[in-house]
Amino acid sequence: MKYVIIGASAAGINAAQTIRKLDSQNEILLISKDDRVYSRCMLHHVIAGKRSLDGISFVSPDFFTQNALQWIKGTGVRDIRFAERRITLEDDQSVAYDRLLIASGASASLPPIKGLAGAPNVFTLRDISDVQRIGAAAQAGKTALVIGAGLVGMDAAAGLLEKGLHVVIVEQADRLLPLQLDRTAASNYQTLFEQAGAEVYTGVTITEALPSGNGGPVQSVRLNDGTVIPCDLVIAATGVRPNTGFIKDAVLTMNDGITVDEQMQTSLPDVYAAGDVTGRSAIWPLAVKQGIVAGSNMAGTSKKLTDGFTAKNSINLLGLETVSLGLVHAPDPSYEQATLNHHGVYKKIIYKDGVVHGVILQKEISRCGFWTQVIKEKLPIEPWPADIFDLNYAAFYQIAPNGRYQYARAL
Amino acid sequence: MKRIMIDKDRCNGCLNCSLACMAEHNPAGKSIYVLNLTDIRNESRNFIALDRSGKPTPIFCRHCGEPECVIACMSGAMSRDPATGRVTYHPEQCAACFMCVLSCPFGVLKADTAERKVIIKCDFCGERETPRCVENCPNRAIYLIEVSEE
Ligand SMILES: Cc1cc2nc3c(=O)[nH]c(=O)nc-3n(C[C@H](O)[C@H](O)[C@H](O)COP(=O)(O)OP(=O)(O)OC[C@H]3O[C@@H](n4cnc5c(N)ncnc54)[C@H](O)[C@@H]3O)c2cc1C
Ligand code: SF4
Ligand code: SF4
Repeated sequence: MKYVIIGASAAGINAAQTIRKLDSQNEILLISKDDRVYSRCMLHHVIAGKRSLDGISFVSPDFFTQNALQWIKGTGVRDIRFAERRITLEDDQSVAYDRLLIASGASASLPPIKGLAGAPNVFTLRDISDVQRIGAAAQAGKTALVIGAGLVGMDAAAGLLEKGLHVVIVEQADRLLPLQLDRTAASNYQTLFEQAGAEVYTGVTITEALPSGNGGPVQSVRLNDGTVIPCDLVIAATGVRPNTGFIKDAVLTMNDGITVDEQMQTSLPDVYAAGDVTGRSAIWPLAVKQGIVAGSNMAGTSKKLTDGFTAKNSINLLGLETVSLGLVHAPDPSYEQATLNHHGVYKKIIYKDGVVHGVILQKEISRCGFWTQVIKEKLPIEPWPADIFDLNYAAFYQIAPNGRYQYARAL
Repeated sequence: MKRIMIDKDRCNGCLNCSLACMAEHNPAGKSIYVLNLTDIRNESRNFIALDRSGKPTPIFCRHCGEPECVIACMSGAMSRDPATGRVTYHPEQCAACFMCVLSCPFGVLKADTAERKVIIKCDFCGERETPRCVENCPNRAIYLIEVSEE
């Protein structure tokens, strides 16, 4: 019996660890394009110069030996022949498997803006190699243009500002971090970024990038309102696409990514998928959970993904922390809203009939974790308290005989 | 593994557990006599919250079997030792992303008040046989029990 895992990141590493816990005997082989294990969520700290490459590993240096894992690193998978249970690598090696996990993640994609593709100073931010290329192009005083003010774009912008670049952020929505924040919370970040020297353009689109001659570097971009913004480098952060290019065999069912059931099994027996490659919301905790579930089932211990809740984000940029859960805006007037806004602390709760659907907490996020549970489980809060912002887990307290906390339904 | 069991009915909110925790983790020394209560850097890992009827409720890290804080941690700073069942925080690894704060289902975690850079997290008092909070509860509202790994 041989387990093979494609990908050595959040999903793949946690799957490997889970399999090893349950099966001490059989061979586990990881294959990854990456030649190290690192947290993509920390890449902007490397850009900023606050962390070394070794400093963004999320496993201990002896992880592979400790868990008796084989690892082919720095080589991508080129093809899988599912009927033969065989994988071909980019270096022509051929690897057989009995049980396979595809945890190949996602790649950043360039927006379809004329003049971007192929220009030598246009980058995305996903891999260490991106950071190295950005690092070579980014010198203090230069102007970096960031397209897209989502989580990755804002990370990149913060990293470049901290490195001393002039940063211009262009976002087509009406505010920064439009999926995570409402206008008030977003404008607090905008103020901070502008104070740090960034220029922010929202509600505009880029119509074209203006390269210097054919295939030359982008020297400026033109906005739909006619503004031309000069720049020395461009970071495009407008979304990701699952890494499924090496799956040419049409027997595997796909949707946005690889289709899986709640046990992370694909349409084929003994083939599992986990993490960003499944095309679900691409956040770290979900990739980890999917990896644990896949690993458990692969090793013969049945486990289901019970928690697919992903509308949760924690943001800590330029020293301002914000968490956001569920809805950002009330969808219609039948929803009510509680807000608090003083001394830079901003809080908002969206609710309806005693059920909370959205929470934004800015600058004061202490002990807020219970909100994740309240929103995820749609726990009714009855009666509605005089000050909803005083609520904490004590309102739901219940303890099991083994000392685990639980949630009491009614208050 | 051992877990701190809680008998909420016996808690009268005297805060001895919180003071014990602050003293145990005070870099200036573990004696209660050197604990400076006005220094915001002395923080307790546990806390007593009031429930909706005003009853004191001890809220302590559960050292969960499948800890959400560890699952959410993208730096490796939060980890669970399968041998001891303890969920431990390593500040030098931490990226201060606060995903763990958002993910702990019981709202146990917070960042440090002074700098908002590291997580305030129960470490089961490290080498100590019995956590200091347990030792200092005059009402036996918190006590150790042995539980199977979950
Ligand atoms: C800059 C940035 C910041 C982020 N910040 C956050 C955050 O704050 N919070 C959050 O929740 N999420 C964040 N994310 C998202 C998070 O990083 C991902 O959800 C997570 O990494 C997904 O893990 P994964 O294991 O599915 O895939 P990935 O991390 O994408 O890893 C894929 C693995 O597969 C390998 N691979 C790919 N193709 C092949 C191939 N053909 N052959 C062999 N191996 C291959 C890769 O080398 C890699 O080892 C961030 C992402 C980025 C880029
Ligand atoms: S911090 Fe919360 S999630 Fe983590 S072990 Fe403690 S109780 Fe569990
Ligand atoms: S704040 Fe630190 S310990 Fe918490 S999840 Fe982020 S990196 Fe991990």
